[in-house]
Amino acid sequence: MSVSYKAVQWNRQKLVYDAVLLAALGTYLVGFHQLAPRLDPNVEPMNLRMRAFGSAAFLLLHVVLSIGPLCRIDRRFLPLLYNRRHMGVVLCGLALYHADLALTWYHAYGNLEPVVSLFVSNPAVGSVARFPFEWLGAGALAILVLMAATSHDFWLANLTAPTWKALHMGVYAAYALLVGHVALGALQTNTHPGLTAGVVLGALWILGVHLVAAHRERAADTPATAGADGWVEVCAVGEIPEDRARVVFAGGERIAVFRYDGRLSALSAVCQHQNGPLGEGRIVDGLVTCPWHGFQYRPDCGAAPEPFTEKLPTFDLALRQGRVWVNPRPHPPGTPVEPLPVPGAPGGEAA
Amino acid sequence: MSAEPEEFYVGYEPRMPAATRRFVGRVVLGLLAAAAVLAWAVPALHRPYALARSDFRDVREFEGVLVAEPVPHLVVARPGETGARAFSRYVLVGRGKSGPKLDLEALAGKPVRLKGSLIYRDGQTLLAVKGAEPMEQPIDAAALAGGESLGRFTLRGEIVDSKCFLGTMRPGHSKVHRGCAVRCIAGGVPPALLVRDVEGRDLVLLLVAPDGSAVNERVLDYVADPVEIEGEVVRLDDLLVLKADPAALRRI
Repeated sequence: MSVSYKAVQWNRQKLVYDAVLLAALGTYLVGFHQLAPRLDPNVEPMNLRMRAFGSAAFLLLHVVLSIGPLCRIDRRFLPLLYNRRHMGVVLCGLALYHADLALTWYHAYGNLEPVVSLFVSNPAVGSVARFPFEWLGAGALAILVLMAATSHDFWLANLTAPTWKALHMGVYAAYALLVGHVALGALQTNTHPGLTAGVVLGALWILGVHLVAAHRERAADTPATAGADGWVEVCAVGEIPEDRARVVFAGGERIAVFRYDGRLSALSAVCQHQNGPLGEGRIVDGLVTCPWHGFQYRPDCGAAPEPFTEKLPTFDLALRQGRVWVNPRPHPPGTPVEPLPVPGAPGGEAA
Repeated sequence: MSAEPEEFYVGYEPRMPAATRRFVGRVVLGLLAAAAVLAWAVPALHRPYALARSDFRDVREFEGVLVAEPVPHLVVARPGETGARAFSRYVLVGRGKSGPKLDLEALAGKPVRLKGSLIYRDGQTLLAVKGAEPMEQPIDAAALAGGESLGRFTLRGEIVDSKCFLGTMRPGHSKVHRGCAVRCIAGGVPPALLVRDVEGRDLVLLLVAPDGSAVNERVLDYVADPVEIEGEVVRLDDLLVLKADPAALRRI
């Protein structure tokens, strides 16, 4: 959590995560370099490296983009999300190396500066087939570099979570640009239908998992009906499991009603860290804990425990005929709200 | 498909919950297997590399007659051969993406000793020149012969730079190579029309204007595109030259 900034706050799971990431990448890159010359003894080393690193970056982007929706579909994927930023930075490194090779190989040692050559050698922007695919790759690389450069929590805190999140949604623009880069470049030279099918299947996979996840999200975001006083019914008190929350969509935002120690408290269901789904979190050590990166908040005031500084809006709760109601008008972030006792529960009040 | 309800994963805890760990373990194994399969499949689906070479580190000396047109080249006598096979003609290019850095006015038509490295593909050879000096040696007049016209043809193919296609780059053609080909041709490397003959073999015809002058700047916009052009094909020993007006180029 964000009280001071370190380059990486290493822990065991991050180390394991990065080791697995490097092992998978090593398997692909070493395998590519070892197998390609056996498949084709005339292999050209520089071009081979360009293909290996470019395709590794493109494939890894599919993994990066799949993790978010897969976590929405099945929470067991959450460990893949925990250190996804390292995956993004590695992806950026692969793409940079591919770009450096291409720039050097195809555009250096000529009568123009390589970067200038990259942008002026093919001005056929009016044609799809002749379109300068290099421009698409350069655009995607710029986004990936920007994302990698701002991936640290320093930028998250200083840009604010919504701005940071919006900036990092640029990964979808990068993906679209890279599909164009591959389709209008490599696939026009390497016309094997298997490669085209691979790119198409990859795009369908990314679209598919996002549609499934979005369908589930939309169902969860059905606005609750407000009563005459503006309060919104959440559920029967017994429907909220101990140390977990029930989420209601009201007043344009998700509100999480947590049950813990015989009491109920309501706070914004959007984590201040990366806008994670706090309503899917748990009470751990008496604190609301985000399922994405473990950011924690006090349930009765929405404030992160000292020395951390994040604060969430809180909401008033009421119990009416055994059902929980919430006032969707938020208190300012960090405002203490007296928890609502659960009748008959240990720690709550008598039924 | 959901996790066991009691489990809750927190990344900074020392260990993952057991069921989540088992699930993630299977996912990781799947990803490693996918990485291994893709490491084989992706290169296997790429177009085979051409059998071409550029021995740019192997600088040798060559002796022959330097001829400036239709493109700068070195005419080298083939020992023991006469008639149509008496000479080999090595097109001259520079280091990097450039034409040969030679004083053509001073050296053209003269015997020279030339330092350079070989670039070759399918029996066609280029020399990447490092330098040349004149030699005192009689000239075989046949080395300066103008070539034999094979007639006028309408040809379909792709404009490539002769240096990359014949060995410096693999692939040295098509759209991924367009930027490089444009740089090479703009830098003085002779452009060529790459066509497929009736048996599917690549045929490389050096592309010059009808008067034999260079057309480099006039073909840049057509490089790597499928094109059609009509012109006169001339054979100079083992070189094929297409004399055509670039204004007649048509994308197909």
